[in-house]
Amino acid sequence: MSADELVYRRVFRAPRELVWRCLTEPEELAQFWGPRGMTTPRDGIVVELSVGGRFETLMVGDSGSHLMVATFTEVVPPVRLAWVEPATGVHTTGTLTDLGDGSTEVVIHQRHVPEPMRSPEARAGFLTSLDELEAHLARLTRGERP
Amino acid sequence: MATTLDDERLDAVFAALADRTRRGIVARLSEGEATVSELAAPFAMSVQAVSQHIGVLERCGLVSRGRHRQTRPCRLEPEVLATAESWIEESRRTWAQRMDRLEVHLARLQDGDQR
Repeated sequence: MSADELVYRRVFRAPRELVWRCLTEPEELAQFWGPRGMTTPRDGIVVELSVGGRFETLMVGDSGSHLMVATFTEVVPPVRLAWVEPATGVHTTGTLTDLGDGSTEVVIHQRHVPEPMRSPEARAGFLTSLDELEAHLARLTRGERP
Repeated sequence: MATTLDDERLDAVFAALADRTRRGIVARLSEGEATVSELAAPFAMSVQAVSQHIGVLERCGLVSRGRHRQTRPCRLEPEVLATAESWIEESRRTWAQRMDRLEVHLARLQDGDQR
Protein backbone atom coordinates (compact mmCIF):
# COMPACT_ATOMS: atom_id res chain seq x y z
CA MET A 1 0.00 0.00 0.00
CA SER A 2 1.40 3.41 -0.89
CA ALA A 3 1.18 6.58 1.16
CA ASP A 4 -1.74 7.94 -0.85
CA GLU A 5 -4.07 5.00 -0.33
CA LEU A 6 -6.80 4.24 2.15
CA VAL A 7 -8.11 0.78 2.93
CA TYR A 8 -11.18 0.39 5.08
CA ARG A 9 -12.56 -3.00 6.11
CA ARG A 10 -15.82 -3.97 7.83
CA VAL A 11 -17.80 -7.21 8.31
CA PHE A 12 -21.60 -6.99 8.26
CA ARG A 13 -23.99 -9.61 9.57
CA ALA A 14 -25.98 -9.68 6.35
CA PRO A 15 -25.98 -11.67 3.09
CA ARG A 16 -23.89 -10.26 0.26
CA GLU A 17 -26.88 -9.64 -2.04
CA LEU A 18 -28.46 -7.42 0.58
CA VAL A 19 -25.25 -5.44 1.18
CA TRP A 20 -24.90 -5.00 -2.59
CA ARG A 21 -28.46 -3.70 -2.78
CA CYS A 22 -27.73 -1.21 -0.02
CA LEU A 23 -24.67 0.09 -1.84
CA THR A 24 -26.38 0.42 -5.22
CA GLU A 25 -30.04 1.34 -4.73
CA PRO A 26 -30.84 5.01 -4.08
CA GLU A 27 -33.68 4.15 -1.66
CA GLU A 28 -31.18 2.27 0.51
CA LEU A 29 -28.25 4.68 0.05
CA ALA A 30 -30.48 7.48 1.30
CA GLN A 31 -30.65 5.67 4.67
CA PHE A 32 -26.95 5.64 5.48
CA TRP A 33 -24.66 7.27 2.89
CA GLY A 34 -24.13 10.59 4.63
CA PRO A 35 -21.58 10.43 7.42
CA ARG A 36 -22.61 11.55 10.91
CA GLY A 37 -24.51 14.82 10.89
CA MET A 38 -25.36 14.63 7.20
CA THR A 39 -28.34 13.30 5.31
CA THR A 40 -28.57 12.11 1.72
CA PRO A 41 -32.05 12.84 0.39
CA ARG A 42 -33.35 10.30 -2.14
CA ASP A 43 -33.75 13.15 -4.66
CA GLY A 44 -30.03 13.89 -4.50
CA ILE A 45 -28.89 10.38 -5.43
CA VAL A 46 -28.20 9.20 -8.99
CA VAL A 47 -27.06 5.63 -9.63
CA GLU A 48 -26.56 4.54 -13.25
CA LEU A 49 -25.28 1.07 -12.51
CA SER A 50 -22.94 0.35 -15.41
CA VAL A 51 -19.38 1.23 -16.40
CA GLY A 52 -19.34 4.89 -17.45
CA GLY A 53 -22.63 5.53 -15.63
CA ARG A 54 -23.07 8.33 -13.15
CA PHE A 55 -22.90 7.96 -9.38
CA GLU A 56 -23.89 11.11 -7.54
CA THR A 57 -24.81 11.76 -3.97
CA LEU A 58 -25.82 15.05 -2.44
CA MET A 59 -24.94 15.11 1.25
CA VAL A 60 -26.70 17.77 3.26
CA GLY A 61 -25.54 18.93 6.69
CA ASP A 62 -25.95 21.84 9.08
CA SER A 63 -22.73 23.43 7.91
CA GLY A 64 -23.48 23.09 4.20
CA SER A 65 -23.84 20.44 1.56
CA HIS A 66 -21.42 18.36 -0.44
CA LEU A 67 -22.15 16.89 -3.86
CA MET A 68 -20.13 13.84 -4.79
CA VAL A 69 -20.01 13.45 -8.58
CA ALA A 70 -18.48 10.22 -9.77
CA THR A 71 -18.41 7.84 -12.72
CA PHE A 72 -18.55 4.08 -12.32
CA THR A 73 -15.40 2.35 -13.54
CA GLU A 74 -16.32 -1.21 -12.52
CA VAL A 75 -19.67 -2.87 -11.81
CA VAL A 76 -19.57 -6.61 -11.03
CA PRO A 77 -22.66 -7.56 -9.01
CA PRO A 78 -22.59 -8.52 -6.19
CA VAL A 79 -18.81 -8.51 -5.87
CA ARG A 80 -17.17 -5.28 -6.93
CA LEU A 81 -18.11 -1.67 -7.44
CA ALA A 82 -15.66 1.11 -8.34
CA TRP A 83 -15.99 4.76 -9.21
CA VAL A 84 -13.80 7.78 -9.85
CA GLU A 85 -14.51 11.37 -8.85
CA PRO A 86 -13.06 13.38 -11.75
CA ALA A 87 -13.00 16.65 -9.78
CA THR A 88 -10.66 15.34 -7.11
CA GLY A 89 -9.14 12.28 -8.78
CA VAL A 90 -10.29 10.04 -5.97
CA HIS A 91 -10.80 6.43 -7.09
CA THR A 92 -12.84 4.20 -4.78
CA THR A 93 -13.28 0.43 -5.04
CA GLY A 94 -15.68 -1.55 -2.87
CA THR A 95 -15.19 -5.32 -2.74
CA LEU A 96 -17.82 -7.58 -1.16
CA THR A 97 -16.82 -11.03 0.06
CA ASP A 98 -19.35 -13.66 1.15
CA LEU A 99 -17.84 -15.13 4.32
CA GLY A 100 -20.10 -18.19 4.10
CA ASP A 101 -21.75 -17.76 7.51
CA GLY A 102 -24.36 -15.24 6.41
CA SER A 103 -21.99 -12.32 6.88
CA THR A 104 -20.25 -10.17 4.28
CA GLU A 105 -16.90 -8.45 4.36
CA VAL A 106 -16.74 -5.06 2.67
CA VAL A 107 -13.34 -3.63 1.79
CA ILE A 108 -13.17 -0.04 0.64
CA HIS A 109 -9.97 0.84 -1.18
CA GLN A 110 -9.48 4.48 -2.00
CA ARG A 111 -6.62 6.12 -3.82
CA HIS A 112 -5.92 9.53 -5.17
CA VAL A 113 -5.39 9.18 -8.90
CA PRO A 114 -2.72 11.53 -10.27
CA GLU A 115 -3.97 13.89 -12.96
CA PRO A 116 -2.45 12.17 -16.05
CA MET A 117 -4.05 8.84 -15.13
CA ARG A 118 -7.60 10.09 -15.17
CA SER A 119 -9.52 8.80 -18.15
CA PRO A 120 -11.15 11.06 -20.73
CA GLU A 121 -14.32 8.97 -20.23
CA ALA A 122 -14.40 9.96 -16.58
CA ARG A 123 -13.96 13.60 -17.49
CA ALA A 124 -16.68 13.47 -20.15
CA GLY A 125 -19.01 11.80 -17.66
CA PHE A 126 -18.28 14.51 -15.16
CA LEU A 127 -19.06 17.33 -17.57
CA THR A 128 -22.32 15.65 -18.59
CA SER A 129 -23.18 15.30 -14.92
CA LEU A 130 -22.64 19.01 -14.36
CA ASP A 131 -24.92 19.86 -17.30
CA GLU A 132 -27.59 17.59 -15.96
CA LEU A 133 -27.19 18.85 -12.43
CA GLU A 134 -27.71 22.36 -13.73
CA ALA A 135 -30.87 21.28 -15.57
CA HIS A 136 -32.03 19.38 -12.47
CA LEU A 137 -31.51 22.43 -10.24
CA ALA A 138 -33.33 24.61 -12.76
CA ARG A 139 -36.31 22.22 -12.69
CA LEU A 140 -36.25 22.15 -8.91
CA THR A 141 -36.20 25.92 -8.60
CA ARG A 142 -39.18 26.09 -10.96
CA GLY A 143 -40.98 23.85 -8.52
CA GLU A 144 -41.22 20.87 -10.87
CA ARG A 145 -40.66 17.36 -9.68
CA PRO A 146 -37.88 15.60 -11.61
CA MET B 1 3.64 28.28 4.57
CA ALA B 2 0.04 27.85 3.55
CA THR B 3 -1.74 25.14 5.53
CA THR B 4 -4.57 24.63 3.09
CA LEU B 5 -3.86 23.35 -0.37
CA ASP B 6 -6.16 23.41 -3.34
CA ASP B 7 -7.03 20.18 -5.12
CA GLU B 8 -4.43 20.74 -7.81
CA ARG B 9 -1.67 21.04 -5.24
CA LEU B 10 -2.98 18.00 -3.38
CA ASP B 11 -2.92 16.04 -6.67
CA ALA B 12 0.73 17.01 -7.12
CA VAL B 13 1.56 15.88 -3.57
CA PHE B 14 -0.16 12.51 -4.04
CA ALA B 15 1.42 12.04 -7.47
CA ALA B 16 4.83 12.74 -5.90
CA LEU B 17 4.15 10.22 -3.13
CA ALA B 18 2.99 7.55 -5.59
CA ASP B 19 6.68 6.75 -6.32
CA ARG B 20 8.67 4.39 -4.08
CA THR B 21 11.97 6.27 -4.41
CA ARG B 22 10.35 9.57 -3.50
CA ARG B 23 8.63 7.99 -0.49
CA GLY B 24 12.08 6.75 0.57
CA ILE B 25 13.45 10.29 0.26
CA VAL B 26 10.53 11.69 2.29
CA ALA B 27 11.07 9.01 4.96
CA ARG B 28 14.78 9.87 5.18
CA LEU B 29 14.03 13.61 5.41
CA SER B 30 11.52 13.02 8.21
CA GLU B 31 14.59 12.21 10.34
CA GLY B 32 16.26 15.53 9.50
CA GLU B 33 17.69 17.55 6.62
CA ALA B 34 20.14 15.99 4.19
CA THR B 35 22.15 16.91 1.11
CA VAL B 36 21.36 15.47 -2.31
CA SER B 37 24.40 13.17 -2.18
CA GLU B 38 23.40 11.90 1.28
CA LEU B 39 19.91 11.23 -0.04
CA ALA B 40 21.27 9.44 -3.12
CA ALA B 41 23.54 7.09 -1.13
CA PRO B 42 21.00 4.34 -0.27
CA PHE B 43 19.59 4.19 -3.82
CA ALA B 44 21.05 2.20 -6.70
CA MET B 45 20.73 5.15 -9.06
CA SER B 46 22.76 8.15 -10.09
CA VAL B 47 22.84 11.37 -8.06
CA GLN B 48 21.33 13.01 -11.14
CA ALA B 49 18.33 10.65 -11.13
CA VAL B 50 17.79 11.23 -7.41
CA SER B 51 18.05 14.99 -8.07
CA GLN B 52 15.16 14.70 -10.49
CA HIS B 53 13.04 12.96 -7.84
CA ILE B 54 13.93 15.73 -5.39
CA GLY B 55 12.86 18.25 -8.03
CA VAL B 56 9.39 16.64 -8.15
CA LEU B 57 9.16 16.81 -4.35
CA GLU B 58 10.26 20.46 -4.41
CA ARG B 59 7.73 21.49 -7.06
CA CYS B 60 4.80 20.13 -5.07
CA GLY B 61 6.10 21.83 -1.93
CA LEU B 62 6.89 18.71 0.11
CA VAL B 63 10.61 19.50 0.15
CA SER B 64 12.50 22.79 0.26
CA ARG B 65 16.22 23.47 -0.24
CA GLY B 66 18.49 25.67 1.87
CA ARG B 67 19.59 28.90 0.18
CA HIS B 68 22.76 29.72 2.05
CA ARG B 69 25.03 26.73 2.29
CA GLN B 70 26.74 25.54 -0.84
CA THR B 71 25.37 22.00 -0.44
CA ARG B 72 21.80 23.40 -0.25
CA PRO B 73 20.46 20.70 2.10
CA CYS B 74 16.92 19.37 1.53
CA ARG B 75 14.31 19.64 4.20
CA LEU B 76 10.80 18.26 4.56
CA GLU B 77 7.86 20.68 4.77
CA PRO B 78 5.72 18.92 7.38
CA GLU B 79 2.62 21.11 6.84
CA VAL B 80 2.33 19.95 3.23
CA LEU B 81 2.68 16.30 4.23
CA ALA B 82 0.12 16.84 7.01
CA THR B 83 -2.42 18.13 4.48
CA ALA B 84 -2.10 14.92 2.48
CA GLU B 85 -2.45 12.90 5.66
CA SER B 86 -5.51 14.84 6.75
CA TRP B 87 -7.21 14.07 3.43
CA ILE B 88 -6.69 10.35 4.10
CA GLU B 89 -7.83 10.71 7.71
CA GLU B 90 -10.97 12.57 6.68
CA SER B 91 -11.84 9.87 4.11
CA ARG B 92 -11.28 7.18 6.72
CA ARG B 93 -13.59 8.93 9.17
CA THR B 94 -16.30 9.40 6.53
CA TRP B 95 -16.21 5.69 5.67
CA ALA B 96 -16.17 4.64 9.33
CA GLN B 97 -19.31 6.66 10.02
CA ARG B 98 -20.95 5.51 6.80
CA MET B 99 -20.28 1.86 7.69
CA ASP B 100 -21.67 2.41 11.20
CA ARG B 101 -24.88 3.67 9.66
CA LEU B 102 -24.97 0.85 7.09
CA GLU B 103 -24.65 -1.65 9.92
CA VAL B 104 -27.69 -0.17 11.66
CA HIS B 105 -29.61 -0.05 8.39
CA LEU B 106 -28.83 -3.70 7.55
CA ALA B 107 -29.97 -4.76 11.02
CA ARG B 108 -33.22 -2.85 10.51
CA LEU B 109 -33.78 -4.44 7.08
CA GLN B 110 -33.29 -7.94 8.44
CA ASP B 111 -35.18 -7.43 11.69
CA GLY B 112 -38.59 -8.89 10.83
CA ASP B 113 -37.67 -8.67 7.16
CA GLN B 114 -40.27 -6.00 6.62
CA ARG B 115 -39.31 -5.37 3.02
